[in-house]
Amino acid sequence: MLGFGKKGAISNSAEKQETLLTLSILTLAAILSFATRLFSVLRFESVIHEFDPYFNYRTTKFLAEEGFYAFHNWFDDRAWYPLGRIIGGTIYPGLMVTSAAFYHLCWLFNITIDIRNVCVFLAPLFSSFTTIITYLLTKEVKNAGAGLVAAAMVSIVPGYISRSVAGSYDNEGIAIFCMLLTYYTWIKAVKTGTILWGTFAALAYFYMVSSWGGYVFLINLIPLHVITLMVTGRFSHRIYIAYSTLYCVGTILSMQISFVGFQPVQSSEHMLALGVFGLCQIYAFVDYLRSKLTKNDFDVLFNFLIYTVGILFIVVFGVLTLSGKISPWTGRFYSLLDPSYAKNHIPIIASVSEHQPTSWSSFYFDLQILVFLFPAGLYFCFSQLTDANIFMILYGVTSIYFAGVMVRLMLVLAPVMCILSGIAVSHLLTKFMKNTDTAKPSEHKKSKKLESNYVLKNEISSAFVGVICLLLISYTFHCTWVTSEAYSSPSIVLSARSHDGGRIIFDDFREAYYWLKMNTPEDARIMSWWDYGYQITAMANRTILVDNNTWNNTHISRVGQAMASSEEKAYEIMKELDVDYVLVIFGGLTGYSSDDINKFLWMVRIGGSTDRGAHIKEWNYYSSSGEFRVDKEGSQTLLNCLMYKMCYYRFGQVYTEGGKPPGYDRVRGAEIGNKDFELDVLEEAYTTEHWLVRIYKVKDLPNRGV
Amino acid sequence: MYKFVVLFICMCSVISAEQINQLVINKNVERTIDLTSQLVKITATITLENTGKDTVRNYLIVLEPDTVGNLSYISVKDSLKEDLKLTPSKVEKHEKDVYSVQLKQPLATGRTAGIILEAVFTKGLVPYPNSITQKEKQLVRYFGNHYFYTPYATSKQTTSVTLSSRSVESYTKLKPVSQSDSTLTYGPYSDIPAFSQDRMIVHYENNSPFLTVTRLERLIEISHWGNIAVEENIEILHTGAKLKGPFSRYDYQRDTGSSHHSIKSYRTILPAAAYNIYYRDSNGNISTSQVRTRKDWIELELRPRFPLFGGWRSSYTLGYSVPSYQYLYRKSSTEYVLNMRLLDHVFDDMHVEELETKVVLPVGVTEVQIKTPYEVQRLPDGVTFKYLDQFGRSVIKLRKTNLVEQHIQDLEIVYHWRSGLLLLEPVLLALALYVLFIIVIIYVRLDFSIHKPEHAKKE
Repeated sequence: MLGFGKKGAISNSAEKQETLLTLSILTLAAILSFATRLFSVLRFESVIHEFDPYFNYRTTKFLAEEGFYAFHNWFDDRAWYPLGRIIGGTIYPGLMVTSAAFYHLCWLFNITIDIRNVCVFLAPLFSSFTTIITYLLTKEVKNAGAGLVAAAMVSIVPGYISRSVAGSYDNEGIAIFCMLLTYYTWIKAVKTGTILWGTFAALAYFYMVSSWGGYVFLINLIPLHVITLMVTGRFSHRIYIAYSTLYCVGTILSMQISFVGFQPVQSSEHMLALGVFGLCQIYAFVDYLRSKLTKNDFDVLFNFLIYTVGILFIVVFGVLTLSGKISPWTGRFYSLLDPSYAKNHIPIIASVSEHQPTSWSSFYFDLQILVFLFPAGLYFCFSQLTDANIFMILYGVTSIYFAGVMVRLMLVLAPVMCILSGIAVSHLLTKFMKNTDTAKPSEHKKSKKLESNYVLKNEISSAFVGVICLLLISYTFHCTWVTSEAYSSPSIVLSARSHDGGRIIFDDFREAYYWLKMNTPEDARIMSWWDYGYQITAMANRTILVDNNTWNNTHISRVGQAMASSEEKAYEIMKELDVDYVLVIFGGLTGYSSDDINKFLWMVRIGGSTDRGAHIKEWNYYSSSGEFRVDKEGSQTLLNCLMYKMCYYRFGQVYTEGGKPPGYDRVRGAEIGNKDFELDVLEEAYTTEHWLVRIYKVKDLPNRGV
Repeated sequence: MYKFVVLFICMCSVISAEQINQLVINKNVERTIDLTSQLVKITATITLENTGKDTVRNYLIVLEPDTVGNLSYISVKDSLKEDLKLTPSKVEKHEKDVYSVQLKQPLATGRTAGIILEAVFTKGLVPYPNSITQKEKQLVRYFGNHYFYTPYATSKQTTSVTLSSRSVESYTKLKPVSQSDSTLTYGPYSDIPAFSQDRMIVHYENNSPFLTVTRLERLIEISHWGNIAVEENIEILHTGAKLKGPFSRYDYQRDTGSSHHSIKSYRTILPAAAYNIYYRDSNGNISTSQVRTRKDWIELELRPRFPLFGGWRSSYTLGYSVPSYQYLYRKSSTEYVLNMRLLDHVFDDMHVEELETKVVLPVGVTEVQIKTPYEVQRLPDGVTFKYLDQFGRSVIKLRKTNLVEQHIQDLEIVYHWRSGLLLLEPVLLALALYVLFIIVIIYVRLDFSIHKPEHAKKE
């Protein structure tokens, strides 16, 4: 765009105006996308949010301080005691490397920025980049106008904001940018058919692979595009070059990420890409042969080859799958295809709320008018089929399916929704805006001719433009509201309104983690449910048993068993696992509903899902009427298990609400059933101000003979 | 006897130690031992008399050789409350903790003079029992001397011990002694020979905060744009009786009495002009603090993230900015004087184990002179780079251990600096941007394509 300097005088100034307008709209959109993500920083502080970001923050800090090789070879003994975890080989390092690069760049210019602030503001920064790349991508697919609308839309779409607010330092924050960058370079490669753009696409793909596990979606979508082009007879040398370059270079590069390793040539998720690569070669070869042979010879050869290759392929695939060379389809992938798979088979996957199927309302909540504009955009793409448009259609249709299966994949859907809606809005507006131009209708003969065909042309057009504007305005308000209300709480600091309208801050998590950091031995081992693992290692710097990287189901199950067992049984497990402290989250006093008692059934299910926990049966924890209750009606197993006792220790004496008996649990809305008990094997070590976090010390074994 | 004294004096002169003038006597000593806080503050008002023939210029102060606790601060004033000069010295059998006071006016024969000795000891109160449960009271023991330890003979002395509460478990009873309310009065004792020692033990309840700053890093950053940034990294430890057994939040919330051995919050006093105050730790902002503006200072009520019990530690960062015109003066066209506190208030009756003060001077400072109010250890200077610095800024590092409130005094730094250096960075930045834009402009106007641009074909 910037390159067109030498031109005729008239077109030059128009072009310049357009450039200026484009640049200013894009800049505004990019700034807006950064600014709208700062609610949480302004309301609270520059702090990392939630759970996974704490792990990313910790690893980034390590990378920035110790360098890449130490990071790559990092064996973390702070997690998964006694197993440990090889961090370098089990993460996607793209995010950490990106932040560390920014950090070092700043320090090169002696801008003394804190690594925490780099992490906090990385996601908003990358969403600005996403805005720009969305413009470029849409411009390739449609035109610059649609690009600008799409860029403006993507800058504030809640479905993307939900994972990229300041402080939400997660892989997805940069992965969406990487994904769109790959798409952009891919479409460029398809359009130009040059090795240069194919290599760019491969590099962008490498960046994507290094930053998010969702690259699997991408490496299936692009082959799907290629297949579709083949089927629709649009396959050409351009696509052959683009795909061959992307696949070869991209696969080799992606295998450099040690977490990915040989998966691109072994696991079945990548087989489509490999298959299409083969198909491309065959297709090209067949085309070559067809041009050299007669029709009859060709048919014979073709039939022979089809059968041999087909049979060979099936045999090889079967052998490799049986011998385990091609890894069996993993649970997460199954749950994509069959939403009920995970729930029935793997409790640990089902227990994560972001793996749940999306509800209809959340589509509207996260996308608002885009939901309606999306089909229109699809229509306009269909009405004007090009290679690039086909890609957008495929991307839109597949991602809407995946978003329906898993809530977190809404993220993948949001950009394509914006692009297609941008196309629709831009198309419609260009059409109708022309007609509202009433000032000088007589100057154009053509328009006069057309005018006679419609009645009230100007009025209808104006009304239509007005409606679109209203929709867009409502979209803006909706997005701002959703961002401010739903997606901008750090969840590490909770806030509530007091009776007089003032703000009460519950900073209990950090209070507890800081207490652990300051007042427990350096090598103390903390047992807690896996949700809090990352936070404990990052903020308290203590060894934990299980964390949010749920790679070892039996270990998590063991912790679940300890929580669900009676005190004596739990003591055995805790001694077996060398536990020094136990940490539980309890919301009964403040009414914080996502506490450990509400998660408890998952602990029971996961605890009972392995052999050693076979004695833990879910129905033992329900009352006789089949409910999960903590009051007197509740089952005795529940009322005497370790989790219950740790949460409610001495809670029976506390008055929580006026007019209610002591020991009234404000989350469950019930007076607890087991009030007066003492702990035999644990002692209360610390409880935070609002009782949100309770920490217990595991007593030593009693001396012999005492 | 006379011979002995002569011999003694000769020996003293041989080992080049200061001799004790036996003809000076303490006519009256009134000693107050303040044990209300975690510190031991001894104030002694001494009336001395010269019974010899020569005028006396020096008076020796010798501290007990086996005191529990460390001397942190000592000062001597005359009766007009003016500071007298103290120089470390030596006498027979006492190598350490001997100070020679230079009297303002030489004491003529038969005359008397009054001086006031003030000494602050840290770690002088030992919790006993050394670990208690949450509900128990904190008891401490003080080990002292019934007599004022002095190299001179004393005619008459009284000692009053001020305690923080009325409940005293036990105290040594060297008659005459009396207790009224929270004060113990020992004496008057008369005609006590030099270097008399008799162990005094007071075992009493002390619930005042036993809070020690184990390390304080104070960073002062001067900017000639009109701002001085101060940041203090503070590590604190509750040095009272250790918590035994569980901590119960329920009991803690029910026990609303103000005198508890745990520490809920404390006050820090900042300069009145302080702004942009922040209170955070490695996990982020600590939301439990309050700023109150008083007339001459800013009072900050700090609550650590969690209440501190015996043996619990915490750490935090407190930072603020002050306008530089109150602390930075221009002496001549290129010479500047900075007057900042070497140590500032953390909490009342504080005890700082280790202090490291760093002063970051502006870029291009030369001829730095430092004047400290008391003796400190100067660590090797460092260099640091701040926003867009080309040349580093020199950092002055000072270290001292065992400090108390009396050490809150001004540090003076004089340096030379040319004010033109202030514009260095903005000019550099402007230049860099200028070059960048020029490059972009040139790049845009160049055409690198080897074929005619496509749009030429259109229209």
